[in-house]
Amino acid sequence: MATTRPSSRLTAAALAGLLLVGACTRKGGCTGDYCGTLVIATGGEPDVLLPAVSDRSITRDVTDQLFLKLADLGPSGNTIGDEDFQPLLAERWEWDTPTTLVFHLDPRARWQDGRAVTAADVAFTYDIYTDSLVSSPFRPSLRHIAAVTTRDSLTVVFRFRQRFPEMFYAAVYHMRILPSHLLREVPRSQWRSAAFGRAPVGDGPYRFVAWRAGESLELAADSTFFLGRPHLRRLIWRFTADQQVAVTQLIAHDADAVEVLVTPDNRDRARADTQLAMYPYKGAAYGYVGFNFAAPGDTTKPHMLFGDRELRRALVMAVDRGSVLHNVFGDMAKVPPGPMSQLFWIWDPETRELAHDSARAARSLTRLGWVDSDGDGIRDRDGHPLAFRLLVPTTSAVRRQYARFLQEQFRTMGIDVQLDEVDFSVFNERARAGRFDALINTWNTDPTPSSGIPESWTRAGFGRSNYGRYENPAFERLVDRAVASAASRDEAKRTWRAAIEILNQDAPAIFLFATENYAAVHKRIVDVRIRPDSWLALVRTWRIPADRLTDRDRVER
Amino acid sequence: MAAWLVRRLAASIAIVWAVVTLTFVIVHLAHGSPCGEPDGRPIAPEVCADLTRRFGLDRPLQVQYVKYLGALLRGDLGESLSLHRPVADALAEALPNTFTLALTALILDFALGLALGVYQAARERRFGDIALGNAALFVNSMPTFWLGLVLLLVFGERLHWFPVGGPRDLVSCPRVDSLLCLGDALWHLTLPALTLGLVGAAATARYQRAAMLEVVRQDFVRTARAKGLPERRVLLVHALRNALLPLITLFGLTFPYLLTGAVLVETVFAWPGMGHLAVNAILQRDYPIVTAAALVASVMVVLGNLLADALYGVADPRIRLRAT
Repeated sequence: MATTRPSSRLTAAALAGLLLVGACTRKGGCTGDYCGTLVIATGGEPDVLLPAVSDRSITRDVTDQLFLKLADLGPSGNTIGDEDFQPLLAERWEWDTPTTLVFHLDPRARWQDGRAVTAADVAFTYDIYTDSLVSSPFRPSLRHIAAVTTRDSLTVVFRFRQRFPEMFYAAVYHMRILPSHLLREVPRSQWRSAAFGRAPVGDGPYRFVAWRAGESLELAADSTFFLGRPHLRRLIWRFTADQQVAVTQLIAHDADAVEVLVTPDNRDRARADTQLAMYPYKGAAYGYVGFNFAAPGDTTKPHMLFGDRELRRALVMAVDRGSVLHNVFGDMAKVPPGPMSQLFWIWDPETRELAHDSARAARSLTRLGWVDSDGDGIRDRDGHPLAFRLLVPTTSAVRRQYARFLQEQFRTMGIDVQLDEVDFSVFNERARAGRFDALINTWNTDPTPSSGIPESWTRAGFGRSNYGRYENPAFERLVDRAVASAASRDEAKRTWRAAIEILNQDAPAIFLFATENYAAVHKRIVDVRIRPDSWLALVRTWRIPADRLTDRDRVER
Repeated sequence: MAAWLVRRLAASIAIVWAVVTLTFVIVHLAHGSPCGEPDGRPIAPEVCADLTRRFGLDRPLQVQYVKYLGALLRGDLGESLSLHRPVADALAEALPNTFTLALTALILDFALGLALGVYQAARERRFGDIALGNAALFVNSMPTFWLGLVLLLVFGERLHWFPVGGPRDLVSCPRVDSLLCLGDALWHLTLPALTLGLVGAAATARYQRAAMLEVVRQDFVRTARAKGLPERRVLLVHALRNALLPLITLFGLTFPYLLTGAVLVETVFAWPGMGHLAVNAILQRDYPIVTAAALVASVMVVLGNLLADALYGVADPRIRLRAT
């Protein structure tokens, strides 16, 4: 008869014990409509929980639960006027004059230490966001506001320098109101390292519980929240090295939700899991190949190749953007009709652009004198091959894939593209310094084109995020008109379209993709509504019905 | 002994200083800047300039270096550029996690490696020896991150036997304050420690087998057998102690392996340790964290080797620690 050695039995027993312990969950007693924990796996981590000094999207996700705005975007995503905005800290508002906006704070609003939220907090917050010592990334977005003053403890007045269609958006979208009584003493130059930023006290639906660096961050529902108690009792963000690891945690049921599934493969994995539900929503990112109009590293000279408009147009027409997009994203992105994410309300598939036409592109190149005179497969002119280097960050699998597909498409056209694959930090440094021929870049945008497009595609963005130094006065005039003086959303949309069409004809870039996001959330969680510009903005209304609570959801601490 | 210790300590400090200096120079000379755009949102040049000025990154490298060394001598590791907090605080949170993982892996590595090596030596050229030898070679050939991914996909994602990441169940056991939570912590530790420990154990087993085979052919082992001692006692008491010396050398060398291996394992298993911290810091050009991570790593390597040297004397009384 076969016998088992004592040591083997011991090992087996230890392993079984370990698995048993692992399978055990601490029992809890929470019942009813306000139980449950949402564990969110994410590929990033906040740097500091002070919304004034961080524009990371993960910081935004967390701080939006801690600090309220005066009002927020409604489901329509309309950033023009004020009719589609929803009250938060301000219960109502009115326009005293065309450039004077008066907010009335909700008297029920309280900081989580018990103090009332006052108009002084709003004025203090504006002061912080616009102080050069604090150096808030949102400071440029508030440049049209001349002053914020208090009328009484619950009334605050915004005065604008000029009228423009998105005045209300400018006043409310970026600023999360901060507690002046807790932050007044923090030296302005040391805001980023303030202790408050690692254990904040807010006025939002959730209160801060714990932050374990590199591992997790936990918030608990504030049962006294004046706009209604959040249903989910706790929110826990679990930090991972990247979004791929986050998706693995979701599939292994170590997490309940992820913001984006990133690739079609991940979406298929999530789809195969019967416990997960998927929520598609418009993405805020768009990617493009940007041409450098200046010589690499020398902005005083034009680029040898890309100073030529006809050549750029030929390059745009040479690329079959649809097929490359299909290979990389499947149906999880669209070819954008210009420099825009799907989030933009100016998205219009009818916008005129240069369509893929390799024959026309080849004719253009030949007409410009770029022919393969030596039979090596690469076009040349005056002894110079038609060749350029494409800067790509190694940290982005999507962009590396794109780079290879593009390299191949250009090769068939007789254009030699060499890839400069560098780490993300070097990519940023070289992009900012203009040390590249062409680059594949991605921007994550606000819901409005009014900030991102001028910054990245006009003269105002030189030395900032207009890396390629594209400029066209006609385009900029239209952008100014759309941003500053359009009387209605329709007029703004028409003006934007005209501007984008001018840009498309100039071909400063090949616009490759605009993402379509898929969030995945465990099916026991219902009433999941996602606002595309901030996927967790409405999480306080998500809930787990009492009959779907698991033992883990009932855990009380 | 005292003189030996003083000399070794002096040499250790010199090594650590050299590592810190080299790391400092290399990370500062490397291309890239700490003004990152991790989310694909443009960063305002004013914000970048403010960061550069505030951390003195606009000053000459030698000035930054002297300032850094001065602070270091006062025990100040500086402030992280990306985390906006003291480096010492960030290390204090990450180090225990890395130590837990590395020590568990080390125990697994040596316990398993030693046992397998002795077993193989006792059954030299028989089926058990050959089968285990090939299995060890197979495991030893695997890159750590690949083994980690395989374990994660099979036992985590497919079978759901073990969690796929993190050091604890964040819902039920945010702190180890009960037996259940201790079990939970061990459960979470299993896959990362196995990943790190198994590859090392395979190598250790091969070393140990070779050392044992060399020892069991010596006269004193033959004498022990001739005296009629049980084979188990001959192997485990007489032969094993003499076959430990190469293992002690290996022990000293395993520290750096575990640290570098931990970088990958921590990434795969979302383990919030030094490796995770260092990788993020390198990607974001967070110079103070990178330099501090190199400092900690070099101190651990130096200490590991010191410990190995001291253990030689314990394992073999013929070896005396001398100043010469």
